[in-house]
Amino acid sequence: MAEFLLEAKNVSVTFGSGSTKVEAVKNCSLTLRSGEPIGIVGESGSGKSTLARVLAGLQAPTEGEIFFNGEPVYKGSKSYTGEARRQVQMVFQDPYGSLNPQLTGLNAVAEAVRIHDKTNKDESENRALELLRRMGIAELDAIKKPRQLSGGQRQRVSVARALSANPTVLLADEPTSAIDQSAQAQLLNLFRGLLDDGLSIVLVSHDLGVIRYLTQRVYVMKDGVFVESGITEEIFNDPLEDYTKLLLASIPGDLGVAARRKLNKN
Amino acid sequence: MSTPNKPLIQIKDVVIGIPHKRRPTLIIVDKANFDINYGEMVGIVGESGSGKTMICRTMIGTLERRGGKILSGEVIFEGQNLATASDATWKNLRGKSIGYVPQSALAGPNPVLTIEAQLTEALRNTGDTKNIKARSKELLDLVKIRRVDTVMKQYPYQLSGGMRQRVMIACALATSPKLLIADEPTTGLDVTVQSQIMDLLKEIRSTMGTAIVLISHDLALIDEVCDRVVVMHAGATVEVGSVKELEKPRHPYTIALNSSRIDIAKPGSELVTIKGNAPSVGEWNLGCRFAERCSIVQSDCKVGVHPELIGASGTHQSACIHTELLERI
Repeated sequence: MAEFLLEAKNVSVTFGSGSTKVEAVKNCSLTLRSGEPIGIVGESGSGKSTLARVLAGLQAPTEGEIFFNGEPVYKGSKSYTGEARRQVQMVFQDPYGSLNPQLTGLNAVAEAVRIHDKTNKDESENRALELLRRMGIAELDAIKKPRQLSGGQRQRVSVARALSANPTVLLADEPTSAIDQSAQAQLLNLFRGLLDDGLSIVLVSHDLGVIRYLTQRVYVMKDGVFVESGITEEIFNDPLEDYTKLLLASIPGDLGVAARRKLNKN
Repeated sequence: MSTPNKPLIQIKDVVIGIPHKRRPTLIIVDKANFDINYGEMVGIVGESGSGKTMICRTMIGTLERRGGKILSGEVIFEGQNLATASDATWKNLRGKSIGYVPQSALAGPNPVLTIEAQLTEALRNTGDTKNIKARSKELLDLVKIRRVDTVMKQYPYQLSGGMRQRVMIACALATSPKLLIADEPTTGLDVTVQSQIMDLLKEIRSTMGTAIVLISHDLALIDEVCDRVVVMHAGATVEVGSVKELEKPRHPYTIALNSSRIDIAKPGSELVTIKGNAPSVGEWNLGCRFAERCSIVQSDCKVGVHPELIGASGTHQSACIHTELLERI
């Protein structure tokens, strides 16, 4: 076993060329240990989604490499070959767009189960129901189509579908930004349960409250660069970089108060 | 500053429905009751589908565009009942005494008009067509946009989300409204931009004395910037009070909302979630609509109509008929 489950080494991603060249991610390195929850936080346009896509095997880096269990992820034009393919799964930002509107929650999850386990219809449906139940979706709701479900329920169907492959790493790109506060609490409780079961989670978010609640380590990203990284609690209590201080001071409510006081003192 | 503690707009027992040709009218808001005083900043919170946006639309008179209708109740703005107001009356109010900042900052401004053209349109509305260019610049200064001359010539797509929302606020302020309604003005924007927009709203309130209604489902945000809070659940106002009063909520729904807040939770501790989903429109149960999800529900909660707010207007009001049991939560 390699020391790190997932590792990014000096990753850069560039789009376009010449005058339209955009460096979305610049020389970022990141590590994830087995069973660990880590966070990537930053503003829109800071490159955190691009980095998540690179980690998920959806976007080849221009420079640098990604390793999963010590093996390079991108080989030639392929990524995550063989067993590694199913071990890293992604939950997308928008539950309205990431589910097929024609399929019921049950069918969407059962389809994924069939692809990964190569089982027959009945078996895959049973396992899909079990997964959905674990996500707090009863059979009655499982046979509904996405438009009949609430945003929170849809996002939980997406998580169930990602889990159908029995992954070891779950990449969640802003999973709570499109849903209500109470639905968000439900989803976060689920994630906590998954962590207890030994899953590793990479949480990408601009919501510092969610990051503080769920992750142990955090990478703060600005304009494609990691400006600060470390233990979440330490970064929240004692940020070093000006940008992190500003970010913390912008949180509404009690969380931001201490940070604002510190910022005003200087 | 205008006289404080005098209601600018009063929402009284408003019932909103969507009439349908063959099916019975769908009631989406029933028993909405609250006041907004001159120069006050009031937050409206609730889950999606609780009727926040519908109430907003009643206050700017655009309910009918979405097929909605005020079935009963009164909306009194400076002594005038707007629930029965004609289009002509609305034309003199909307965008003049009452300004509106819509939810989607990114889609808000007209994509084919320059910022200058949009502001000109808003300023013509005042009836005073002199010095429009100078006044446009003043407005952009007011909402703290730098490089005013460049921005005037730009199109919305050339601006960031925060800038676009500032332009929308500038348009709404063109006529110096007495009431500004902001429907989730920072949803989809970054926290740093959000705090800038909130500072701007606070400043507008204190310099221009504008009353501001802030609709949001972020309780932490409302706690920080508002004077009073209106909590809505399934089309009814369930609790109204000052931010200070709501620190000790008197309705089980508000208590539940507070306990699902991650900003107060200890990292890694279990978050308390609200049982089930909010009842869908058209599937409301008898009695209190929160009863099915409530942890202190009693047998008399599930009979009759949804309870009225208890307490005088302007004080801490709650629609829970069993506040004596709240200690058990």
